[in-house]
Amino acid sequence: MENNYDVIVVGAGNGGLTAAATTAKAGLRTLLLEKHNIPGGCASSFRRGRFEFEPSLHELCSVGSKENPYEIYNLFEELGAKVDWHYEHNLFRVIAKGKNGYDVTLKGSVDGLCNCLDEIEPGSGPKVKAFLNLKSKVDSAINYIYAKKGHPNKLVMILKHADFMRVASHSAEEVMTALEIPQKIQNILNTYWCYLGIPTDELSGMHFLNLLYGYVKFGAAMPHYRSHELSLSIADVITKNGGEIRYNSKVTEFLYNEEGRCIGVIANGQKLYAKEIISNIIPHNVYNMSSEHVVSERSLKLANARGMGMSFVTMYIGLDCTPQELGISDYTIFIQDDPTPRRQYETMNDGGFYIVNCLNNVVKDSSPEGSCTLFVTIPMHADNLPADLQPCDYKKYKNNIAEKFITDMEKTLGISVSEHIEEISIATPATFARYLDTPGGTAYGYSLNRWDNLMSRISAEKDDFQIQGLTFCGGHHTRGDGFSSAYNTGSAAGKKIVNKLKGGM
Amino acid sequence: MAKPNLKSLSPMAFTQMTPTREEQIHAASSEKLPELLSYKANALALALHPEKQHLIVTNIIEHNKDTKSYVLSPNKEKGTDSLAWFNAGQYLSLSLTIGQHVLTRPYSLSSNPADVHKGNYMITVKRVTGGLASEYILDQWKIGTLVTASAPLGSFTYEPLRDAKTIIGIAGGSGITPFRSLAYAIANGLEDANLILLYGSRTLEDALFTEELQKLATDCPNFRLVNVLSDESKEGYEKGFITAELIKKYAPEGPYSIFLCGPQAMYEFADEQIKTLNIKPKYVRHELFGEYFNPSKEADYSAPETETVTITVRQQGKEQSFKANINTSILRSLEEQGIACPSHCRSGECGWCHSKLVEGEIYTPKALDGRREADSVFGYIHPCCSFPLSDIIIEVSPTIA
Repeated sequence: MENNYDVIVVGAGNGGLTAAATTAKAGLRTLLLEKHNIPGGCASSFRRGRFEFEPSLHELCSVGSKENPYEIYNLFEELGAKVDWHYEHNLFRVIAKGKNGYDVTLKGSVDGLCNCLDEIEPGSGPKVKAFLNLKSKVDSAINYIYAKKGHPNKLVMILKHADFMRVASHSAEEVMTALEIPQKIQNILNTYWCYLGIPTDELSGMHFLNLLYGYVKFGAAMPHYRSHELSLSIADVITKNGGEIRYNSKVTEFLYNEEGRCIGVIANGQKLYAKEIISNIIPHNVYNMSSEHVVSERSLKLANARGMGMSFVTMYIGLDCTPQELGISDYTIFIQDDPTPRRQYETMNDGGFYIVNCLNNVVKDSSPEGSCTLFVTIPMHADNLPADLQPCDYKKYKNNIAEKFITDMEKTLGISVSEHIEEISIATPATFARYLDTPGGTAYGYSLNRWDNLMSRISAEKDDFQIQGLTFCGGHHTRGDGFSSAYNTGSAAGKKIVNKLKGGM
Repeated sequence: MAKPNLKSLSPMAFTQMTPTREEQIHAASSEKLPELLSYKANALALALHPEKQHLIVTNIIEHNKDTKSYVLSPNKEKGTDSLAWFNAGQYLSLSLTIGQHVLTRPYSLSSNPADVHKGNYMITVKRVTGGLASEYILDQWKIGTLVTASAPLGSFTYEPLRDAKTIIGIAGGSGITPFRSLAYAIANGLEDANLILLYGSRTLEDALFTEELQKLATDCPNFRLVNVLSDESKEGYEKGFITAELIKKYAPEGPYSIFLCGPQAMYEFADEQIKTLNIKPKYVRHELFGEYFNPSKEADYSAPETETVTITVRQQGKEQSFKANINTSILRSLEEQGIACPSHCRSGECGWCHSKLVEGEIYTPKALDGRREADSVFGYIHPCCSFPLSDIIIEVSPTIA
């Protein structure tokens, strides 16, 4: 029947795309529904004048390369999605202001990084190396748990995987302190907390280790043509394998049968049915679009208990000068009022922490010759907007923030931005809310706080989401924030459905 | 000395993770989750960018036999309670059904943005001979006519972080409309800029809003109006075209931005003039180019052998085919068939008509190619400024219901 599919995937964000590509490639009749007119959600791009801006991606983690492939490279390869990857080999430059401040640039690769850190604090290199070496212990424990289908032998765990148990259940800072990594070195490395949205005194040590390892060992990767290339390359896989994508097709309701099984959706006014539904949409929205009796008390309690993850103010600036003329040679620069992640988190709504990216330093021709772009990110809590802000004052509100950060950036980096601005566009949590429809404009989903961390989300996945016929994926799911996490959960959701409908994959 | 290790951390904390999480969940409320619009960010996003606006014509101002302004107010009965805010220089994309044609047209908002608070937008429509939409609107719209429009769109706006504080506006014909809005925004303190408006028309009688803009200029020190008449000599008015010399005559000492809005022929002339002024490209900004009609005049265009091709269109799971002319944009050909397609700017810029070219060849004039770079790699086109060179198969998104 015309409106019957094997799988309907709701939302063509990173998770929805890899989920739909996985099911389409396995031969399942797949329909991907997206409210916007292009795929990707945040993984997109937009044009202003002669510039095409990257809206959200800072650097993809855990990609790898042809010679040294890792999770994401493999995922794209398996799907057959073609991406022209570019790599940043430094980790980042971080500037902490104030009297105990610093301005350091970290090199990539384990040796590169550890040598760098050794110069800053002699003796710290081997300790950081020991931290990175925990990754293989984590991997072998995870493999064991998977082999035991989530029910590992307790004795084996404690005898063989005690360090994994420690790293998974303690914060990144607790683990680093146990390894005697000096505070200053921790502060420098832990700058990456912002990619996971929760400071490292609370963020799972295992989660942070995965991120750090992914960047150090495999470099940070960027597509040639902004994230729009990533999304189109996966969309291409879906359609080439017989899948269908419908844009401008917002889902307004999830449909259930009498047993409470999810059997379809209403999109753009049309009823569409499938054997399985995959939602890249955050559970909050799905539950609000579902009849009350199908959502279990536990699921509702979980959703109510969770904190919303971060949103951002972002500035996209096209400049009529080269990075050299501007005086920026780094790709990523973190600028902080205070060196500790916890303080950065606490003051982020006031702008105590922001990120400057110059994509031309990784993808040279990402803007026309003689020009460059700056992408400035100010992380903040979701919904961080003045309660009384009126539409008529919105432009001034945005410009005031932008002016403040441009001035600070000029002063901190000793560069002159203002006179070169040829295009500027400013996004706020309202912009993210507009394009993503997430509560408060959170970019990914739920906060990875201490009790709702990576490992406990994975362990509880079956209890957390109980609606039959409905599988979740995306940045709000088990792996939390990040493009790579969303791709991975989408791929996992797709494989689960393929297994269910076709068996034995 | 022993190597640092993790012994100080208890592995048994691992066994507490799930119980701790369960406790947190257990203690939480089982109330219904807050609606999206209870969040400030989502409510603001909706207020600024409604999917569509249902409007009603509440007043008509006749400027001359071929030009009228229409005041549009929210149609509460159809669910639009208030108008979305706009910044001077933005436009509305109107959805129109004329005979069997289903189409859109962008019209600059000519009103004072502050009038949004009074529930009023204004657009100004000039008759284009043979122009489907302008003739329809001028002949058919009456007070009480229902109109469906987009949210305000476009980036032909004053941006203080980018533009010089003084704007030399170059307007031709009905290209005055966004500048009227900007002049009022400046006079009302909504925009902190100076506007020196060079307004070209054939005669003073052809110029729109002359009296009221002259009055506004008298009252507002940050706005100056210079009428430039091509076909008429009149005391106190400039005669001729808007040349580099004329711009220099009225330009301030320091940096200034040039904003242009008018017919395509005006852009061609003005751009040549502006080149001689040696000002940074960032200080020159154009309103939408407008609909493009004649690919055969482009040097890199090579016409196919046949004038007629077959367009096969897939939309929302349905497919249909029809004959189309190679000199008509794909969007127009679709609209002529009564196929509703997403579009707003019709100038290649906004990307709302973004569609997948499944098969076949098309031509897009370089100057109007506003696609994202990856679009070309993966075969996406903007039908509003694409012309078929062969039979084509295209996948078009539905319009939003």
